[in-house]
Amino acid sequence: MSGALALALPRPVRRQIWSIGGGKGGIGKSLLAASLGWQLARLGKRVVLVDADLGGANLHTCLGLPGPSRGLGDFILRRVERIEDVVVDTPFPRLRLISGASDVLGAANINYQQKVRVLNKLRSLDVDIVLIDLGAGTSHNIIDFFLISDVSLLAVVPEPTSIENGYRFIKSALYRRLRNAAPNPAVREIIDSALDAKNAQGIRTPLDLLAAVEREDATAVARLRRELGEFHPRFVVNQVRSPADIAVGHQLVTACARHLGLRASYAGYVHYDDVVWRAVRQRRLFVEKDPDSAPSQEVRQIARGLVEGETMSLAW
Amino acid sequence: MAAPTETHYGVLGIGPRATPEQVERAYRHAAGLYDEDSLATYSLLDVEERQQARERVEAAYTVLRDASRRHEYDVSLGVVSASSVPTFTPAAAPAPGPERAPMVVLPDPVTGPDLKRFRESRGISLRDIATASKVGIRYLEYIEAERREVLPAPVYLRGFVQEYARAVGLDPRPTAESYVARVASMR
Repeated sequence: MSGALALALPRPVRRQIWSIGGGKGGIGKSLLAASLGWQLARLGKRVVLVDADLGGANLHTCLGLPGPSRGLGDFILRRVERIEDVVVDTPFPRLRLISGASDVLGAANINYQQKVRVLNKLRSLDVDIVLIDLGAGTSHNIIDFFLISDVSLLAVVPEPTSIENGYRFIKSALYRRLRNAAPNPAVREIIDSALDAKNAQGIRTPLDLLAAVEREDATAVARLRRELGEFHPRFVVNQVRSPADIAVGHQLVTACARHLGLRASYAGYVHYDDVVWRAVRQRRLFVEKDPDSAPSQEVRQIARGLVEGETMSLAW
Repeated sequence: MAAPTETHYGVLGIGPRATPEQVERAYRHAAGLYDEDSLATYSLLDVEERQQARERVEAAYTVLRDASRRHEYDVSLGVVSASSVPTFTPAAAPAPGPERAPMVVLPDPVTGPDLKRFRESRGISLRDIATASKVGIRYLEYIEAERREVLPAPVYLRGFVQEYARAVGLDPRPTAESYVARVASMR
């Protein structure tokens, strides 16, 4: 094939699925998702925001929209056949939304087949990035969306309860991933027992778990180590008020590496600021209302860093 | 938990060629990680584990902060020979490679708040930069605040910003060029 012909052919574009989880409610996850989506769209990406906080959806309000008449629940319950039919425009170029459709009762408990159908259809959307706002908690629905994502963001605020839930979220996600990769029932049983904090084998961390698996089945552990190596959550520390709060993100990354044996990274932080609160009160998005404010610029930096594959790292 | 056989360098997460400034920063990071009030480890480790981790960090720092004790330790590790000079000389032994983060280029134009955000994101204080660069802390504050009425002439400003950039891990030349050009356009 000649070089000219190769250049003329359209490049296959890899559609990416990003998700934002966090385990705990009320930490600004939906606002982060909406503002990150907005900044990605500003960077030229075609973005669809998906409100997967089924049962507590409010991403449309973050974007200043009234509750859309159709949403993800309508697609899940087959009231509409095509996922494109539940995608609605927002006032912002290149940014569209699939609402969480909080009016659909029971949507919070979707079964496995429904979940697979949703994921497959999200992958088929003609966009650059599908950004999923996950609900609070560590249910399988939430964890599974997190695990299939190309970029898995974990939002925390610098408070003990949020960090504790963040670790719980990481462990739940990782153990589910390891369980899915477990080659036999004996290994699955060890992983299941590890989910009980008071397990008889004294398994407290993923490293303890791998050691327990190795004792049971030395050949299985290599596969689980590979899964552990590919698990890569990225922290976003929201509502920081001081340099010490900013440093929490670096400390989380170090703690994950040293004590959980997993490779996390620090996508960035966003300052606590009244501009966010004022914008919420007006049902406007702070990144659009106050683009020069510190939180807006910080979300822009996170978006740019994620697109360009850069993370915050300590200077040594 | 970290393996008990881990070297002092491993405990602080640095390599054996780390400069004294890098030892200081790594120590502050590790000490904060295992502090009694640390958010990052309080729910991950129990009280005893954190105490043990703190003791390892302190033991590592006690040795690595002292040039002569560090030299003895390096000899015991086989990192240097016993006949080498027991001081760290950055000019003779720069710290390239994995323990230094790659230089970053911020998007143009580079502003004072951009520099401040980047510095804070890396956990570096203005005092760290002043110590490393010999640029007065007052001027560093002016640079971040874009106090153009008190900033020095461009030729000096360029040098100051380059020193600032070097200390925080930014590429010095493009950072200084962009910052100085922006300030000049504001005059």
